[in-house]
Amino acid sequence: MVKDIPIWRVKYLPKKLGQINGREKIKERLKFIIEQRNFPHLLFVGPEAIGKTLIAQLFSKEFLRVHFEPNFKLVYANVPLSNEERAEARSDAYVSTSRIGSLAGRTITTPAFIQVKVKPFVQLKALGNVPYKILVVKNFEALGSNQQGFRRLMEIYGSNCRMILITTKISNIIDPIISRCQIFLIPPIEYDSFRDLIIHITKSENLEIEESIIEILYRITEGRIAQAIDLIQLCSITNKEIDINAIYQGFSKSKNDLVRSLLLMCLKGDFPKARELARKIQSNFKYNSQDFFVLLSKELLKLPLSNFTRTKLMNLIAEADFRAVDGQDTDIQVSTLLSKICYFSEFL
Amino acid sequence: MVLLSKIKLNSDIPWVEKHRPKSIKEMAIPNAKVKGQKIILDEELRDFIKNFFSEMRLINEENKKINIFNRTHGEKERKEEKQISPEKAAILLEGPPGIGKTSIVYALANDLNMEVVETNASDTRTKAKLEAKLKETVKSRGIMDYIVKSKEKIILIDEIDGIYGVSDRGAVPTILTIIQSTQFPIILCSNEYKQSLQPLYNKIKKYELSSLSNEAILGVVKKVLKKENITTLKASDLELIIEKNNGDLRGVINDLQGIGQGILDENTKELIFKLKRDSTEEIFSLIRDLFQKVTSLRDARDLTNKSDVDYNFLYKWVNENLPTFIRLNKELAKAYDNLSIADEIFGRIRKNQYWSLLPYFYDLFAGGVPLSRKQRFANEGFLRVAFPRYITSGLLSLSANERSLVSKIKGKYEISDIEAMQDFIPFIRILCESSRKDFKNVSDWLELDANEKKILK
Repeated sequence: MVKDIPIWRVKYLPKKLGQINGREKIKERLKFIIEQRNFPHLLFVGPEAIGKTLIAQLFSKEFLRVHFEPNFKLVYANVPLSNEERAEARSDAYVSTSRIGSLAGRTITTPAFIQVKVKPFVQLKALGNVPYKILVVKNFEALGSNQQGFRRLMEIYGSNCRMILITTKISNIIDPIISRCQIFLIPPIEYDSFRDLIIHITKSENLEIEESIIEILYRITEGRIAQAIDLIQLCSITNKEIDINAIYQGFSKSKNDLVRSLLLMCLKGDFPKARELARKIQSNFKYNSQDFFVLLSKELLKLPLSNFTRTKLMNLIAEADFRAVDGQDTDIQVSTLLSKICYFSEFL
Repeated sequence: MVLLSKIKLNSDIPWVEKHRPKSIKEMAIPNAKVKGQKIILDEELRDFIKNFFSEMRLINEENKKINIFNRTHGEKERKEEKQISPEKAAILLEGPPGIGKTSIVYALANDLNMEVVETNASDTRTKAKLEAKLKETVKSRGIMDYIVKSKEKIILIDEIDGIYGVSDRGAVPTILTIIQSTQFPIILCSNEYKQSLQPLYNKIKKYELSSLSNEAILGVVKKVLKKENITTLKASDLELIIEKNNGDLRGVINDLQGIGQGILDENTKELIFKLKRDSTEEIFSLIRDLFQKVTSLRDARDLTNKSDVDYNFLYKWVNENLPTFIRLNKELAKAYDNLSIADEIFGRIRKNQYWSLLPYFYDLFAGGVPLSRKQRFANEGFLRVAFPRYITSGLLSLSANERSLVSKIKGKYEISDIEAMQDFIPFIRILCESSRKDFKNVSDWLELDANEKKILK
């Protein structure tokens, strides 16, 4: 007998495009594409953690069928390259042969990410009876100016490999890329489908849950299914009946709550402790400073503060983030932000 | 008269040049590695030179035949002349300064009765200059070389990491072509890895040299002292000097000359010992002075000018220790504002080479930060200075256990490294803390070993 997967969010992961919860229109469009056997480059846009990648994966699986394994690749644009990968990209650098002009004697390198992760895949021909390979690039906006490198790639290798670019912030995607893609706006799951899913899970796990609690769950997780399922699993440990207290207790253990308490600590004016906590959050969850500032500004919007205070704090966060772009040591910028909030709290 | 000038000349020569080893036997040979494998450097170099010449002889003979062939045949049938492979024509010695990279080449040349043709960072090394200096030497032997059997040569291109900027444009490709058409073995020396030299690294073998051991340095230094007739130096002082220089033999000899020629003036001695670079005690006291003694920007400047601590580190120390010395939130905010602007300026300097901004950087982090404090505690006492604890950012730094845990998760569930660390593992951790049964199920599912389980507990 195969043992159950102990993590529910993995256990209840859809295995087919049809099993994706809700979002019927998107599914219809994708199914139509699969029947047509042809599609342009796609750009999936939608909020965080609502299943964009999963949809792209399942779509590719059904499009490529048995030839899925060799013809599909998923890359993460926001994961830094390892040292070995960097060295590999460096060794591909070559010296320009032109004798005059600005390029004379220059070392020419292509962006390391494209060199290491993308090119080797798109250059090889598709295997088996499929029209082309599929490359999925997640968090595409994280590539920044390296997006330029994709412009030519998408044209040169377009007939061999179609790309599905996934992003949360379409404003950070450069225009030439947008014009080369068909855009799919992927919405968060609708409440009705969310409810059906939660009821399905609770039934198969022998739990009880009230309709009103599902509503609360939908609100606090903002439609993120994985997080909702995580919460239910946490609650189920102590109780067969999911109640509101258990949900909030589970939620309070998440990192968002740590960030929230960090902000509150600053507003009480305790700088040394706040710095300690900020460092702990960054190292435990492996946040870089930029993610950290984003997280802070998100939590700030949820705190019950006056508009004046909120604007002032947002101003401080923005300034710190801005300086960190140029700065060398991001810890200094984080500390600066905390100390300024501590000082500001004295006027409240 | 002659005698007098000779004596004068002798004392003018830096000891480093005067006592440069004439033979490999006199040398402290630095430890060397090739791709992590330990080797014996002098033997390896000898082999390299021997192999080069035997290879060269073969190639030259073949080229002679090709030449004759080409002369008698038409344009179309001509064969190309053979060239030696770069791997056999040149090697790179890479290591910290003062351990004997240049010396070993000269000593070896002396032992093998060869001549050294050297170019170093003091020459501008544009393409044209390099070609003028080396190409003729490299390519052909002069007529005189055949009449008088002259010495063979070694070509030493020293300090190649000093090839820099517009003034040396085109140097790297020129060196590459020189390597391909050389008649003599080429040795390149460098202190550190530089990306602009990557095309060179790809072609030739790299020897990584490490610092000399203190014992090896002591052996050489004793001989020098004997030759210079210095007997007054205490053994403990000598140890200190060696310790301070951290494996840099040239530095040790320079310091000894400073002491030896001044006939052991107490002040010079003190000065030399003070230069013990970046020692933590010095930073400790410097940080204390910065926060507790500085009363004006001028003070701060004097203090940083006098000290030898790398400012790269110093401002990180300031960051770490700021809350220890400044405790009022108002002053903290002001101090941090100055520090953060200093950091921003420093970043721009590094990114765009705006070195003219450097004075602001100094004034802001060394002066602006401590001067933000108006009140002093009545009885401050002795405050503990702490080491900076770096938070690595930008690069994702995972421990070995975390890495293996992430890769096991990725085998079961499609997720990126970052998502795993930020989202998935924290959840599993909470789950495992709350229930023993789930902990067992999860570790069975992921087939975890003991170390990986520790992360979850």
